[in-house]
Amino acid sequence: MSLTHLNSLQASIFSSLAIVSLLLTFVMLGSHWLRNYVYAFAVQSWLIAALSAAVGYFSGYPELYVIAALTALFRGLVLPYLLMRIVDRLHVKREIHAVLQPSSGLVVGAFLVMFAFVIANHMTRQTTSAAHVVVLALTIMLSMKFIGFLMLSVRDEAVSQILGLLVLENGIFLGSQILVPGMPLLIEIVILFDLLIVVACFGILVRYLVVHAGTTSSRQLNRLVG
Amino acid sequence: MAQHLLFVLFLAPLAAIVLSLILRHSRVAEYATVAAAIIDLAVSVPLVMQTLSGPVIFWHSYIRVDTLGTWVALCISIVYALSSIYAVGYMRILDEEERLPLFYALFSGFAFTMLAACVMNNVGVFWIAIELTTLISTFLVGFEREAESTEAAWKYIIVVSGGITLALLGTVLFYWGGSFVLGPRYAMTWAALHRSASRVYQPLLLMSFLLALVGYGTKAGLAPMHTWLPDAHSESPAPVSAMLSGALLNASMLGIARFLSVVSGTSVSRFAHTAMVVFGIFSFVLAALFIVRQSGIKRLMAYSSVEHIGVQALGLGFGGVLGVAGAFYHMLNHSLNKSLMFFGAGNAMRAYGTKEIPGIRHVLKTFPVSGTLWLLGAVGIAGAPPFALFLSEFTILRAGIAGPYRWAAVLFVVFLIVVFVGFLAHFRAMYFDEASEEQLPQVRRLPWVVWRTLPMWLAFLPILVLGLWWPHGLWDVFLKISVAMAGGGQ
Amino acid sequence: MILSNILLQIGQVLCVLLLAPLLQGFILKAEERVQRSRGPSILQPYRDLWKFFHKQSVVPESASWIYFIAPFVSFTAMLMVPLLIPVLTDRPLPLSNMGDLLGGGMVLTLGSFAIILAGLDTGNAYGGIGSSRTAMLAILAEPTLILVFVGISFLAKSMLPFVVNHLLLGSASAYWSPAHLFLILAFFALLLVETDRLPIHSSTHFEIYMIDEARILEYSGPLFALLKWASMMKQFILYTIFCNVFLLPWGMSQLGTPFGQLGSIASLLLKFLLIALTVVVVETVQSRLRFYRYQEPLAAAFLFAVLAIVSSQLL
Repeated sequence: MSLTHLNSLQASIFSSLAIVSLLLTFVMLGSHWLRNYVYAFAVQSWLIAALSAAVGYFSGYPELYVIAALTALFRGLVLPYLLMRIVDRLHVKREIHAVLQPSSGLVVGAFLVMFAFVIANHMTRQTTSAAHVVVLALTIMLSMKFIGFLMLSVRDEAVSQILGLLVLENGIFLGSQILVPGMPLLIEIVILFDLLIVVACFGILVRYLVVHAGTTSSRQLNRLVG
Repeated sequence: MAQHLLFVLFLAPLAAIVLSLILRHSRVAEYATVAAAIIDLAVSVPLVMQTLSGPVIFWHSYIRVDTLGTWVALCISIVYALSSIYAVGYMRILDEEERLPLFYALFSGFAFTMLAACVMNNVGVFWIAIELTTLISTFLVGFEREAESTEAAWKYIIVVSGGITLALLGTVLFYWGGSFVLGPRYAMTWAALHRSASRVYQPLLLMSFLLALVGYGTKAGLAPMHTWLPDAHSESPAPVSAMLSGALLNASMLGIARFLSVVSGTSVSRFAHTAMVVFGIFSFVLAALFIVRQSGIKRLMAYSSVEHIGVQALGLGFGGVLGVAGAFYHMLNHSLNKSLMFFGAGNAMRAYGTKEIPGIRHVLKTFPVSGTLWLLGAVGIAGAPPFALFLSEFTILRAGIAGPYRWAAVLFVVFLIVVFVGFLAHFRAMYFDEASEEQLPQVRRLPWVVWRTLPMWLAFLPILVLGLWWPHGLWDVFLKISVAMAGGGQ
Repeated sequence: MILSNILLQIGQVLCVLLLAPLLQGFILKAEERVQRSRGPSILQPYRDLWKFFHKQSVVPESASWIYFIAPFVSFTAMLMVPLLIPVLTDRPLPLSNMGDLLGGGMVLTLGSFAIILAGLDTGNAYGGIGSSRTAMLAILAEPTLILVFVGISFLAKSMLPFVVNHLLLGSASAYWSPAHLFLILAFFALLLVETDRLPIHSSTHFEIYMIDEARILEYSGPLFALLKWASMMKQFILYTIFCNVFLLPWGMSQLGTPFGQLGSIASLLLKFLLIALTVVVVETVQSRLRFYRYQEPLAAAFLFAVLAIVSSQLL
């Protein structure tokens, strides 16, 4: 069952879930506190799990229930727990915004959303399914990618950069639930576990950074140049 | 038959990992890894021959054994074998006896995931294998637990993970484009993507390809996404640098080559090839300029890797039989030559106690045999005859001059001269410059010479032989690969 | 008996004129009660206005004609805007096509601009501070306000507030659409800024912290009363736009009978009660932001407005 035959109720459920997820990304962009980033990520993961279940219910892909449950468990609970442990051990509470102030970050993020919308519009011009929810999904996927890269490039703290990467992955996951719900189950499950391993590795690395390099702020990790 | 060979190929490193982790004894770990690597090398050659009659697909079409994949697996096994022999001697010098079993387990795990990536038929599982290589190699890069190594490992994992999420986006968009043609559920194999490619909305196809190119190009070290490469390659221990440079970059180029074959024959194919040429020539020029101004010996080798990946991208971009053959021949030669260079650099670093080129002098006087090998390797890697890299670069040049990218071929030649002069200037300083008594570095004579010099010989001899003679069997392999890339996997 | 249009229109203006101090009184009392103190009576602003009208006016020597006409310009602007927006009735009244949403917004800004000039006019230091700070807030807030109006026009395909009102009354999907919800959030942030509530709050007696009030420090007597009344009416008007156009478009008189008008006034007061309570809660929960951080809530409002425009195109 493809997504061209959605009635307005289903479309509005999908749209609201997706848009609130995008809003949570902006919370990450505009806040000063590292804990808020982790909370926003957790809530975003739950919303994406709900979206997954909704797609499975309305479009008839029962295996998406499994994915939804796994997402809520791993991305929504285990990953934020691991991240909180990293944040607690770090003794760093605030992100020092040296390059981009939160307010300017919000404005830049707004322009990136507009850019993503233009691209998504262009991409879906000739496709047979002109369902608005598809354009919305593509827009939100691309904007979360852009904002994730923005966070990766302008943020100092190691934890903020990890969260930028996780936002990138979340964006792709969100888009793939709406655009390609039939993607093989194996791939989605393995990507989920892969994310877990990634964050575990990050935890170990951050510990090494603190112990050996003495800092987790990338502003001060500048011994290797040229 | 191919199935059995594949089974042995994967079982050997797995056995090495298990032995290293369970028995926790350094000597056992070392010998197990060397044995596994040699078995892999022995198995990968017949594997290439098996695929000459056509690709073999099995295990619910999750595994695809074709010429392209097995050729890359062969290059990886060669580097695995050479590096594991070298690692025995090198790591013993490092004085980290308790952690050596962990090192060898990670080392074999790294090789395992790279070999797995070569035979994956499903695009998503291929991505997962590449992601796993990143994770395992991060710990290898940061093995020495110094401030610089940890910083390099951090930069590596952040930049490369960010890059391959772009590749994941490209994969999802490819699948989405295909779902308009093939229905909402289909197995995401390379062949399926190629079948649907001509009927997908072309701007979408182009965007997916460019995303995959930039994503896997980050892992491969194409400029301007190469920023992690000099740090990671210079801070990791020398055998790991050789693996990263000689094997990992090849696995990423495999991904790019497979995506290029997916879009071949469609209307975006021309743009895709142009994009490859642009990235290739940009990497080459950038690396050439950085090589001239280097002061660290391993960073110099790392920028040379960027340069040679640029050459491979150029070859794939020029296309045609000559371009593709040149690119894959270059892959083999680069693996051999770069391993040789990193082994020599590792020896020099440990002997002279410094990574800086100004601190290394009178190499020929102090180390006659391995010094000569290193110098000849340097001449080879700068692209001079009678070594193998010259032949492959010349083939790529022939492909470039004949096609529509003549401007790139001209730039290629000009900056090749820059690289030649710049690279060898550093070596001239290290070998033939005079140094006064106070500046004369204190040279340490280190043990385990045979373990550290034997792989250099084993890497050097094929470079010399292949530079003088291009075996006919190899030509058959490249012909098969270029046909597969032009027609796409079927 | 249906009242004639002229009576209805005069009624709207009188409603705004006479009930604005009541709203201000209610907000002040609610703030105090939330903090467990007694608070002034709800009718206190009326008594204050009465007092000021009977006081003597002390004019500085350096005042020019701008000093004298600014209160009148501001007051008149505030009297004009109720003609354009739906206050009591649902259907557009004759003079309401003098201006649409954008026109109404510009008239409001005209009033504020006149007082900015007046603050600069006398050469007083605090006047200069107040005028420059108000101008900076206007620079940050006006683009967002315009984007909000653009967003609502995309939604309703028209810039008239009455059309927007009918659309929101008529279709539930338009009301609950993400574009509309984002616009509500954006306008709420702007409401807090324009009516000088926390986190921008400047109703203090320390002159150095003042933003809006510093402009009118030189005024006294009837002119001061006019200015105070004008700012109370501005608050009332913004609340009216928020309720009747964006948030709670129900409960307005459709036919124009006197009974309907009274019912409409009652529902208006009820709606304002809800909004004022929300504003008071929001105020009590936060503390005042540093001046350099005023861009943060306004950037968030800008973001919401942009998201509203994008999602109105998508859905």
